[in-house]
Amino acid sequence: MMIHYRFLYEELRYGGKQALTFIICVALSIATLTALNSFRRDVHGSLIDEARALKGGDIIIHAHQPISEKLQTAVDELAVNNRLAQQKTIEFYTVALTESEDSSLLSSIKAVEMRYPFSGTITLASGRQLKEILAPGSIVVAQEVLDRLGLEVGDRVLIGDSPFKVIDVVTFESMRPVTFLSFGPRIFMSMTDLDQLGLIGRGSRVEHEILLKIADQKEADQITKILSAAAAPRLERVETAKNARSRVKVFFDNLLFFLSCISILTLMLSGIGMQGSLSAILYQKQKVIAVTKAFGASNRFLLTQYLLMVSFMGAIGSVLGIVLGYMIKRLFPLLFGELVPEGVGYSFHLADSLEGILLGILVVTVFTLLPLHRLGTVKPVMIFRHETGGGTRSNAPLLTGIVCGLFLCLLVIRQIDDLQIGIFFILGLALLIGTASLAASACLWLLKRAPLPTLTLRQAAKSLYRPGNASRSIIVTLTSAISVLLTIFLLKLNLFATFIESYPENAPNLFCIDIQHDQKELFQAVVGEEVLLFPVIRARLLSINNQAIDPEKERERKTDNLGREFNLTYRETLLDDEIIVDGKTLFDGNTQLPPGVVAVSVLDYIAEIGEINLHDRITFNIQGIEIEAQVTSIRSRTKSRLYPFFYFVFESATLESAPQTFFAALHLPKELIPDMITAIVAQLPNVSTINVADMAERFGQLMRRLSVIVTFFASFSIMAGCLIMVSTIFATRLDRIRETVYYKVLGADNNFVVRVLSCEHALLALISSIMAAGFGEAAAWLICTAVFDIAYQPHWPVAALAVVCSVILVVLIGLASSAGIIQQRPAIYLRQQNGT
Amino acid sequence: MMKAPKASSSVIRLLIFIGFITLLAGSSCDSSKPSAEGGPAENEVNKPAQGVIVAMGDSLTAGLGVAPAQSYPALLERLLVERGHNYRVINAGISGETSSGARARIDWILKSEPDIVILETGANDGLRGIDPDLVEENIEHILIRLNQEEIRVVLAGMMMVTNLGQTYVDAFNELYPRLSRKHQVVFMPFFLEDVATVAALNQEDGIHPNSAGYEVIAANLLPYVEQAITLSSP
Repeated sequence: MMIHYRFLYEELRYGGKQALTFIICVALSIATLTALNSFRRDVHGSLIDEARALKGGDIIIHAHQPISEKLQTAVDELAVNNRLAQQKTIEFYTVALTESEDSSLLSSIKAVEMRYPFSGTITLASGRQLKEILAPGSIVVAQEVLDRLGLEVGDRVLIGDSPFKVIDVVTFESMRPVTFLSFGPRIFMSMTDLDQLGLIGRGSRVEHEILLKIADQKEADQITKILSAAAAPRLERVETAKNARSRVKVFFDNLLFFLSCISILTLMLSGIGMQGSLSAILYQKQKVIAVTKAFGASNRFLLTQYLLMVSFMGAIGSVLGIVLGYMIKRLFPLLFGELVPEGVGYSFHLADSLEGILLGILVVTVFTLLPLHRLGTVKPVMIFRHETGGGTRSNAPLLTGIVCGLFLCLLVIRQIDDLQIGIFFILGLALLIGTASLAASACLWLLKRAPLPTLTLRQAAKSLYRPGNASRSIIVTLTSAISVLLTIFLLKLNLFATFIESYPENAPNLFCIDIQHDQKELFQAVVGEEVLLFPVIRARLLSINNQAIDPEKERERKTDNLGREFNLTYRETLLDDEIIVDGKTLFDGNTQLPPGVVAVSVLDYIAEIGEINLHDRITFNIQGIEIEAQVTSIRSRTKSRLYPFFYFVFESATLESAPQTFFAALHLPKELIPDMITAIVAQLPNVSTINVADMAERFGQLMRRLSVIVTFFASFSIMAGCLIMVSTIFATRLDRIRETVYYKVLGADNNFVVRVLSCEHALLALISSIMAAGFGEAAAWLICTAVFDIAYQPHWPVAALAVVCSVILVVLIGLASSAGIIQQRPAIYLRQQNGT
Repeated sequence: MMKAPKASSSVIRLLIFIGFITLLAGSSCDSSKPSAEGGPAENEVNKPAQGVIVAMGDSLTAGLGVAPAQSYPALLERLLVERGHNYRVINAGISGETSSGARARIDWILKSEPDIVILETGANDGLRGIDPDLVEENIEHILIRLNQEEIRVVLAGMMMVTNLGQTYVDAFNELYPRLSRKHQVVFMPFFLEDVATVAALNQEDGIHPNSAGYEVIAANLLPYVEQAITLSSP
């Protein structure tokens, strides 16, 4: 193979800004892909660690009674062979008392062995380790225990028959998830103290656990199998940290899915940018290529040289991309804080780099196919004729499109791990490009026939139809880029509205349940503020349209089932986060219901499950009393998950007299909560309080971190989109130069040229961005409703802003790329063009 | 081995928290397990019922985790019919209900015009460590109200788990016999007699009886209900 180094050097040297754009495009796509893939690998790996932290070991054996001899023997045998280490924990509720027995508190005792825990974290106020300080006769308690019993560290607490000295306060326990039945604060004690309590024995309700730490993680599955075989069926549960993480996995899968989509779109946008910038380079070199061919250079020679040039630029871009990816990963701990586990974010494996290089090669190859193919279409005769286009038509664009589509399809399947979604993704993109192409033709056709008022506008419009003009492809490219960007931005807005803004600073952090009807006023008085109390009425569904509910059949449903007990409520208005999706108002006051039939509004979620429609009849059994209701509206929730929601809402008159309890969600400053709980329980001893202040605070932080992640990765797409605009304008720069010169020859001044150029770019951007606004909204709506299953808000002002920004950006880029030309004297250009 | 950091596990806790909030805020407050249908068990067709028995209580009455036909009210109705008592037994159990909740809905229960009420409540109070005095006050209020309406009551006693501590357990366990004596009601000393702590008769959670457990409960309860039927007969 013959390589002409000087030729290559010159080509690169004069490639200038376009070459730089090409390299940045490659770098951007590789950086996003590698950083995200690496991030994903680490997060997946760390999830197992997190599950261990949550569970306190690699394998957890759980039972409501002492562990059976058979299972214990199996564990002991494995321990003898050093295949695992074990430790036991015993957990139960008891009523702890002050020494004077004048104050008591239901507490959750956890008796642990000296090495507890194997994994996970227990943070103490003193900063010491639980395993270092927990000695017989001492306890470590949650602050709430001290607050509610009026004690301090150093005081004694009666548990069972024995007094225990409080030696420290536990501030965090990774193994204790918040559950609906977390009624008492934590007390840690030593396992050796358990016997003297006199609490454990026949008639006690105690959770027994054995935590296992496996010596060789590869054996985890095998050991689990051995232990599961030894476990008493139904009574003993053997869980691994791995299979205990489904909820977490689903959450991260969703997050990574969205980020993967962004990385693919960034890659696609960058690919278009590469194609555009390479086309611009080759377009500028048409004459050179024609001359080279005239001197006998074969297509193969030229293809080899340009292929090498592209490979060289691709290699630089890939290396830059890998370095950038590494730097992004280094930023993760800073950007994402506690969302990313410690230790993640610093490692950048060889695999990441190799993957980056491989992707670089593939990306460059796929996206440069078309421009390089066009090399063959340049004919030596072009030296003499002022031809601008590639000339002959071929199947190359179609073939390239298919190759690009296949490549993207494979990449989507690899990134998202879902063939069906991958196909939809590609079909969606194809539809977008196809529709944009048709719409672009239609717009240009209309523009050609539209009466335009000024010369500037007429000239700008005519420029769009100049021979060999790429207006349609520019519009398609711009439309695709802007709609993808807008889609991402709109998705981001909707995801935030659903998940982040729904958890504002004042989100509830104290829940009170079981407030009785006659305690409402007292509760309000104790809380000292107007609190919204949600009535809760327990009931069952008997039939829908006289079709009896079959509880047995319902139990087989994987989703929520209609056979269980439901919580009904009553109110006259919609909540802030509710909308009517079917029906006029909540209870449609104008509809006359037959006697004995009441109105009910149904939440769309349960309506879907039960195939319930407007005007359907539902029969409820409210604790022995049957009520027939007609569906007067179907509601949907627009965002929040933190506020109470009810599937079935009745008019107040219907259920006011039904047996009910009330549920309150309060927001209080964290430090005031213990006192508030004490006050509530003192006045209303039957009311149970659930303090989620710590969790609510951490959750708020998590949501803000998530917004950073999404914004961060979305910004890569935005950068790629800007690069497309730059490369697209560059690609047709020469045409504009020539036009400018002709205007000047005909007597136009700089001012006129600037106006025409601005108008031309503005027209291109306007057509593209208006179409993109529609496509973007449609795509974001589709993804929100079909994939994320969240409510969609159109955000038209954002779309309008996107139109304005695109127009400004395109005009600015267009003028910037033409800045040198505007000042250019026509004579010089014409002389250059004629080769004199 | 890499130490699992606090920060990461807090994320999981947060996610579980989200699930918790969903559970709390949504309609499935008490359990993710589907519970049994609470409608009345099928009675013999075309044969007018001699009377109505309302089984009032918590998840132990509702039959959480078992099929509707396997809950004790349905089994009891069948047993009664077999023994010639054509009574309709209405399941008015509410999972997760405390004695305060039961007290609040007593007037609603009266709407069914029962001849006999089987009252089983207080277990959830005990498991939440609620003051036994309050439980006693609530149950007493219900008994007085039923007495005013001349409804015969079968009071099912409850015994609290021993791990709550002797003082609490004694105070709790004693309130049922005391009330039964005071209000002269038919008294079943322990609703879960022969069932509590027997693994084979309980579900995996160790609290709620399985279908075999409910058969034992229904059989144990039968004589007390028959006694109430006899007492309520003119």
